[in-house]
Amino acid sequence: MKKVITAIIAVAVLALMAWGYTDAARHSHEGEAGMPAVKEIIFEHLGDSYGWEVPFSHSKRIPLPVIVRANDGSWHVFSSGRVTGGDTFEHFKIAHEGNYNNKVVEVLADGSEVRPIDLSITKNACGIFISALVVCLLVFGLKRWYVRNGLKAPRGGKGMLELVVDFVYGDTIKPIMGAEAPKYGPYLLTVFFFILTMNLLGLIVIFPGGANLTGNISVTLVLALCTFLITNFTGTKHYWKEILWPDVPMALKCPMPLMPIIEILGIFTKPIALMIRLFANMMSGHMVVIVFMLLIFIFTALFGVVAGGATSVLSLVLSLFMLILDTLVSFIQAYVFTILSTMFISMSHIHEEHEEKVK
Amino acid sequence: MELFTPEFGLVFWMFIAFLGLYFILSKYAWPFIIKSMDERAELIDNGVAYAQEAKQHLDNAKAEADKLVAEARGQQADILRDATKMRNQIIEDARGEAAVEAKKVAEAAQLSIEQSRRESEKQLRQEVSEIALQIAEKVLRSRISDDKAQQELVEKYLNEVETKN
Repeated sequence: MKKVITAIIAVAVLALMAWGYTDAARHSHEGEAGMPAVKEIIFEHLGDSYGWEVPFSHSKRIPLPVIVRANDGSWHVFSSGRVTGGDTFEHFKIAHEGNYNNKVVEVLADGSEVRPIDLSITKNACGIFISALVVCLLVFGLKRWYVRNGLKAPRGGKGMLELVVDFVYGDTIKPIMGAEAPKYGPYLLTVFFFILTMNLLGLIVIFPGGANLTGNISVTLVLALCTFLITNFTGTKHYWKEILWPDVPMALKCPMPLMPIIEILGIFTKPIALMIRLFANMMSGHMVVIVFMLLIFIFTALFGVVAGGATSVLSLVLSLFMLILDTLVSFIQAYVFTILSTMFISMSHIHEEHEEKVK
Repeated sequence: MELFTPEFGLVFWMFIAFLGLYFILSKYAWPFIIKSMDERAELIDNGVAYAQEAKQHLDNAKAEADKLVAEARGQQADILRDATKMRNQIIEDARGEAAVEAKKVAEAAQLSIEQSRRESEKQLRQEVSEIALQIAEKVLRSRISDDKAQQELVEKYLNEVETKN
């Protein structure tokens, strides 16, 4: 059975490759194969857009609502289908150059383009809602199990989900947080599952997935900001004392407040590191896969179809490897974000007596 | 570098989605799941502890049962020994009593035999003497006139016969 499945997959892959190869050959014969616009393709895949690609189609998009506030203060809501392809709708169009490349801009009466306040449900915003929905379904599914089956251990997918919950909550949050775990556990678990879902959905290439969510700095910014706010607003007196008047020799803080400055910088660098780490890891993963794929077309353009065909084998293997690695990275980064948030929050809850115990 | 500049719209929606998700899950799902998992963990821990205790109890019970059996065996042996002893005693007693009884019976029998022998002897002597007297009388009546001298003579002979016996 296993052999049969392997054979079918191998044949399918080979057939797809052959099809792509003949397609490429035909294009090359027609003299259309030029150097691909590498940078544009990469940024288009990594960035946001107003429509969602229909699987296996280059031009068709699922239209999404555009919500903008015009310069005169009025709100406009319309389908993104109306402004794609360079069309202008109610003075709005998608710019394809300049500072607002690929964003909706408003064309004013004098012909200048300004960026309106843009609350559009873009591809990424839509992806965020889909991820939130998926997380809700998963978590409430697990809850329903407990409601229905009491203390019986869940089986199958729910069992796996419970394993992950137990791993994050029981083995990470609880040992670090101690008595405060039930208070902050829900936030940290939500962060973990939301990031994990967004990471994994990003790896699926077709519709419900494919949005590079956690590889977008706006998304990680919000997550890091939440941790930052919780850390500093729930911080104890002792936490602030450690920052503003730490327990170091007087020379380091009196004439020139060296340590307080470093500590205050630290307040901001911690969440910024969180934000950049997740963003860079996920974005680079996506980028590497796209680059491997583009290599096929670059080699075809440079050395002809045969070289491109040969590269495709290597590219396929390498990008498959990268995707598997990205799956692992998805887990690791979600976990790292959660564990670091846990540590930042618990570090801001230190008490005097805690300190004495350490001494 | 549009990749590195946060987009206001996306930040806004992300905030809404994330906070919404957080409030929904933290209110309706996570506490319940965590509670259930903790409860189950506790149940399993208790179960393990209970099982261990039960096993210990069982082991103890086995040892106790073994002890009881051994004790019972000992008692059984004692009882058997006692019973044997008692049986022997009873037999011995019965035997002794029977011997005494038999002796008594034998003695009584001998006594009665002796008595009856004596009586019969006495009777016989009387009868013999009477018969002899009658015979002598008859003989003497016919032959002897003096009855008295003859009777003395007969008596004398009878005594001689008796001592001979």
